[in-house]
Amino acid sequence: MRKYTIALTAGLALAAGCIDNTIVTPENSPTVDALTGALTGAGVKTLALGVLAQDRSAASGFGYVLLPEIYARNAYRIDSNEPRFVVETLGGNADPGSFSAGGTAFTSPFTAIRAATSLLVALPGAVESQVTPAQRNATAGLIQTIKALNYYRVVETRDTLGVPIQAADPAVVAPLSCKATVLTYIAGQLDSANTSLAAAGSGKLPFAAPTGFSAYGRDYNKASNLILLNRGLRGKVELYRGLQRPSPVAGAFGNAITFLTQALGGAAPGAVAPATFQNGAYVTYVAGGTENTPNPLVDSKIGVNPKAVAALQSGDTRASKIITRSTLAGSGLTTTYTYVGASTANAANLTLPRAILRDEELVLLRAQAYFENNQFTEGTLDLNSVRTSYGLTAIAVPATLAAARDAVLYEKRYSLFFEGPQRLVDLRAYGLLKAGVTPAELPGDPFNTAEPIPKAEVDARNGNITVQCP
Amino acid sequence: MKIRTLFLGVVAVLSASVAEAQQRRITGRVLAEEGNVPLSGAAVTVVGTTTGTYTSEDGRFAVNAPGTGSVNLRVRRIGYQQKLVPVSSVMTDVTVLLTKDVLQLEAQVVTGTATVVSSVNAANAVSVVNADQLTRVAAPTVDNALQGKVAGAVISQNSGAPGGGTQVQLRGVSTILGSYSPLYVVDGVIVNNSTIAGGLNVISGASGGNFSSSQDQSVNRIADLNPNDIENIQILKGPSASSIYGSKGTNGVIIITTKRGAAGSNSIDFTQRVGRSTLANKLGSRCFGSSAEYGSWAVANLGADSVASAAEFTAAPTKCHDYEEEYYNNSGIAYETIASLRGGTQGGSSTYFVSGLAHHDNGLAPNDFYNKQSLRVNVGQQLGSRLSINANSEILHTLTQRGISGNDNNGITPGDIFSATPSFYDLQRLSDGSFPVNGSAALGNGANPFQDAELIKTPNNTYRFIGSVATNLSLYNSERQTIDAAFTGGVDTYQSKDRVISPATSYVEANTFGALAGTLFNSDGEILQANLNGSLVHRLVASMFTAQTSAGFRQERRESSITQLTGRGVIFPSVTNVSAASQTFPNAALGLTRDFALYAQEEFFALNERLLLTAGVNSEKSSNNGDQQKYYTYPKFSASYRLPRLPSFTSEFKLRAAVGKAGNQPTAGRTTFLTTLLYEGNTGTRASTTVGSPSIRPELATETEGGFDATMLNSRVRLSATFYKKKITDLLLQAPIVPSTGFTVQYLNGGQITNHGTELELDVTAYQRGTSSWIATTTFSKQTGYVDFLPVGVASFNPGVGSFGRYGNAWIQAGKSTTVIQASLMCSGALTASGSCPTANRVLGLVGDANPDFNVGFNNQINIGHVRLSGLLEWRKGGDVVNLTNNYFDSFDLAADTAASHLRYANYKAYNGAPYVENAGFVKLRELTVGYELPAVLTRNAFGGRAQNVRLELSGRNLKTWTKYTGLDPEVSNFGNQPLGRFQDVTPYPPSRSFYLSLSSSF
Repeated sequence: MRKYTIALTAGLALAAGCIDNTIVTPENSPTVDALTGALTGAGVKTLALGVLAQDRSAASGFGYVLLPEIYARNAYRIDSNEPRFVVETLGGNADPGSFSAGGTAFTSPFTAIRAATSLLVALPGAVESQVTPAQRNATAGLIQTIKALNYYRVVETRDTLGVPIQAADPAVVAPLSCKATVLTYIAGQLDSANTSLAAAGSGKLPFAAPTGFSAYGRDYNKASNLILLNRGLRGKVELYRGLQRPSPVAGAFGNAITFLTQALGGAAPGAVAPATFQNGAYVTYVAGGTENTPNPLVDSKIGVNPKAVAALQSGDTRASKIITRSTLAGSGLTTTYTYVGASTANAANLTLPRAILRDEELVLLRAQAYFENNQFTEGTLDLNSVRTSYGLTAIAVPATLAAARDAVLYEKRYSLFFEGPQRLVDLRAYGLLKAGVTPAELPGDPFNTAEPIPKAEVDARNGNITVQCP
Repeated sequence: MKIRTLFLGVVAVLSASVAEAQQRRITGRVLAEEGNVPLSGAAVTVVGTTTGTYTSEDGRFAVNAPGTGSVNLRVRRIGYQQKLVPVSSVMTDVTVLLTKDVLQLEAQVVTGTATVVSSVNAANAVSVVNADQLTRVAAPTVDNALQGKVAGAVISQNSGAPGGGTQVQLRGVSTILGSYSPLYVVDGVIVNNSTIAGGLNVISGASGGNFSSSQDQSVNRIADLNPNDIENIQILKGPSASSIYGSKGTNGVIIITTKRGAAGSNSIDFTQRVGRSTLANKLGSRCFGSSAEYGSWAVANLGADSVASAAEFTAAPTKCHDYEEEYYNNSGIAYETIASLRGGTQGGSSTYFVSGLAHHDNGLAPNDFYNKQSLRVNVGQQLGSRLSINANSEILHTLTQRGISGNDNNGITPGDIFSATPSFYDLQRLSDGSFPVNGSAALGNGANPFQDAELIKTPNNTYRFIGSVATNLSLYNSERQTIDAAFTGGVDTYQSKDRVISPATSYVEANTFGALAGTLFNSDGEILQANLNGSLVHRLVASMFTAQTSAGFRQERRESSITQLTGRGVIFPSVTNVSAASQTFPNAALGLTRDFALYAQEEFFALNERLLLTAGVNSEKSSNNGDQQKYYTYPKFSASYRLPRLPSFTSEFKLRAAVGKAGNQPTAGRTTFLTTLLYEGNTGTRASTTVGSPSIRPELATETEGGFDATMLNSRVRLSATFYKKKITDLLLQAPIVPSTGFTVQYLNGGQITNHGTELELDVTAYQRGTSSWIATTTFSKQTGYVDFLPVGVASFNPGVGSFGRYGNAWIQAGKSTTVIQASLMCSGALTASGSCPTANRVLGLVGDANPDFNVGFNNQINIGHVRLSGLLEWRKGGDVVNLTNNYFDSFDLAADTAASHLRYANYKAYNGAPYVENAGFVKLRELTVGYELPAVLTRNAFGGRAQNVRLELSGRNLKTWTKYTGLDPEVSNFGNQPLGRFQDVTPYPPSRSFYLSLSSSF
């Protein structure tokens, strides 16, 4: 009987040992609980890098660089298995339900914005012994600048279709705001970030930002340099506030010149040395490994629009950005050229960085602002400083604004080739992307000027995408 | 504490029970009616008491009956119909003749973790499949062996690749995003049936990226089990029966019991099978009759390249190769060796069953195979009169090479290559041992499947252990009451290693990956599942009723760890170490789940065991739920009644009804994770765009089942009919969120699916005289399932289980069948210059349904003297499949039937209907066996009296398919096992027919 008692007791003891043990903490990833409570230095670092990594994603999708460059007649992507890169760009309207609507260039920036907001909310509670006030201000300045940048990325691809300004509460769905409202909001965010950066004084970020923020002529780990990035963006936004229709912001071009000059360290017109043109902030790429975020432009299906080759002026050394390739044809398009950074033959292209904003663009933006502000002499000085550095002769001061704009468009096209939606934004702003002005690429070319609001967004709003403008 | 209180209470009741009464001794003998052979191990019980015993080897028994009046003895033995024997007050010795239970009227079916009931009384339609039915024809896996044998189960193979990959679906689709596999329980151990993707994607590019995908054509791991060790399989088809498994019971439960030892002398069973598999069906490809015909094809399909290839056609010595015949021509011999030893001590205090298996199948393609070895030891020991222990263990090893098949984007699957290669190109190995580069400009990558079969290896190597220990302790035993404590603990653990070794020297590798040619993939999957059950069972036998009360607990732990490493740019073909790659990609996933359940059940027999009432409840909590500490409760009720007064032609008629609830644990969505984003190797994090729900809970299925079982014409006919309604609420779903909030989707519970069904089983002994008999078994099942509604915020959606654009995909819409197929129907506007329809103009519609109209299994077994003939036909009426393989061939105009191809392709190009959605109904000759048992005289002479039951058999599996489906096999699933959207046919591994010659004998 004794052994039976022991057997039963053992069984019941096992049973007792089994109760109350169904709590399991997730092992594969941390949960959002990690965002509550005081942030440590390590917490600030990982959340800030999360924002920057998400920003890289927002800046890298086909929807942000490739589709705008296709719209702007610089690029093709011809893939017999995926004709939508042609039939929903140059051959027809973009489909809101399709990938070519650039869902990645919509959802990704808003994810980056949410991540930035979460960090900005948590940042004041950071443990002061680990993150000094100056470091906190530098971080806030960087993160708020990146947040504004992501709103601006959505404006670049969506233009007047409306951009929601995220509510602090993620459960609240904000209405779509009109472009003027959003640009004003972005300007405010940049100014607020600038205040934080100024408060940081000579302080630095409490962590090392990715090398794209330090390896290209300027160390943006320092708040004083982050101010230059911030002001550069502010100037860019201000220029387009001046160009926005129907209600341009008065005085915007003058303000833009001020901000851009500040971003260029106070350099006089034409005085920025070509050697510093590449200075700026970049997104960098990693090939292989867990991270495996190669430069997405490395793609055998990408080619250069032959019109971009034909328009090159003789002697322009920026022609080196375009190389020949095997014939790429389909869906009615043909090219034998591609972007040098798109070539799959060069493994280094996989890690080719791409500028977020660099000094060459700032100089051209300032030239553009001078021309728009009727300061043709200053504009020409800035423009020629770029132009002559690429083996071309200086132009005379343009006689008309239209001629000046053409000159700016030429330099921006090749200086910023395959770097982002800059050309699309300019063609759109100047009304140059339309039938009768631009040659059609294919029968039924719709001359798309913006990517549509993705279907997922439209559906989740029950179809209500009315744009609100106060 | 609760258990202790219960125990003390029960003891108190017992103390008050009646004092010992006067007894008398009854002895007797139990014999088989046929030949008066003594039957050992028959259970003899005195009706109205707990008193009982088992017959010895010579069939004798002795039992003490209370009182001096007449009593009834109930005699039961597996394989025989039970008998009620009246013993008058003057009789002391009885002889009982039992009739063979050819229609299996007397199986013991599971009602709880520690309780069973005779199928005579069972209130649920539990299907029981025994060893003979399972292994009549060699089956690679258990689920293959069940095909066509169970009403209510749709069992479909994913492809013809060797080694399995089969989905069992009981009573329709019960979930959209949750777990869809039935729960498998082997000797009390809940075993794992995961599919660990084997990594084919790294070379096929089917899903893109650098890791495995659901398109890897991998095997669900229940395939590991050795079908030959199985004594029987019981199938609890829905929640009204599977409620006892709580939040894992929605999809039904398959309870597998392995063989045990038996008291008495040892018997050794030995079976040797040899066989081979051949290509059962092929698509064929276009033969060009003349260079003019080829020339016009080349101009239309290749344009500028046509001049060169026209010359190639002219020069080709063979103008039309049958690639499928040439390639799927692995003529190797398959074999299966099965040996087992069964025995025990004379009194039966120790029993043992030891078995071994070596199985080898060839795939149809060169170098593909499936090897399985198994060793099992089951021992039982009676310790004294009260404690018994059974320990079962099995070690399994499988090594499989399934080749390359299914969807691909790199032109590497043989089916894809054949669809784009004009048939005059010779792809076979050249006399110098090398392989020709595939010259097809339509394919464009030089891929040669013969070379790939030689160079590319895709092995899966799995070691598995399943072990359990079950103890039963008799705590109290009186004339009218017993209390037993039962504990069962067990573990199922395996290590599954998948590799893909694709050297840079293959043409397809070099042309697809360029500088990064040379691919290696290494995946280590480790799975562990352990569970422990404890039950107390109280049985009270009174003159008017019998009551069985059980209560207990079940604890379970499931762990998984899968680590993958992919390498690209491995230059040297001999190197198989991933660290030699120029780029590597790591990936890992861990899983841990803990469940705990409490249950209680009351079974009440009355009216001379004609009425059975059951009530039970299972309460379970799980770490998978949003609230990990909350108990979710699953009750069940059932009743059965055997009618007492029946017309003379009917021996039994039972009405039954059952209602029960079961759950399906959420597989995801418990919390919002932080997503890790690396930036230059440093860790960044942000909130995931998928929002979890702290209230996520199991899906809840409520099933009502009713029916009758009738035994007629002197037990020669059994008819069972079951009707059910299964309603699943609180479906695990994902609702989209406005993306500009920074989040895209959130998990929630909501919506409802309702399944209705009818299941019929008809067993007929059409003829029985002497040693000749004909037994026909027919199963019929029909089920429909509809999405009743979706929760607010969730619109109709493609459940995202894998589909290809306009051809056809699963679609979830309120008011529609759960298994409906949505496809592009037309283009509402003009096509673009390049011939595509702007997405906005694509008109989508519901064009088919993957659910078959009904399933029929028709099984016949005929014995004439020493000859046995058996056959199993399965008829699946209706059910649609999306045949993308045809589209592969059509797009290059290389299908064998060019007329049909042109029509399909023209419709496809014009956006006219859904030309690739096809009816996939079929009739399959699943099994056919002709056996001959050597006469005893011959056996005695040949084996010196040592061998018995020597049998020679010729058998075949999947010998013939009748179908209008134009693909290789209507049973197909490019995405493997999944709740919905199985119906994608994308260049699958072709089906095989298998033949076996077997010799079996007992010693």
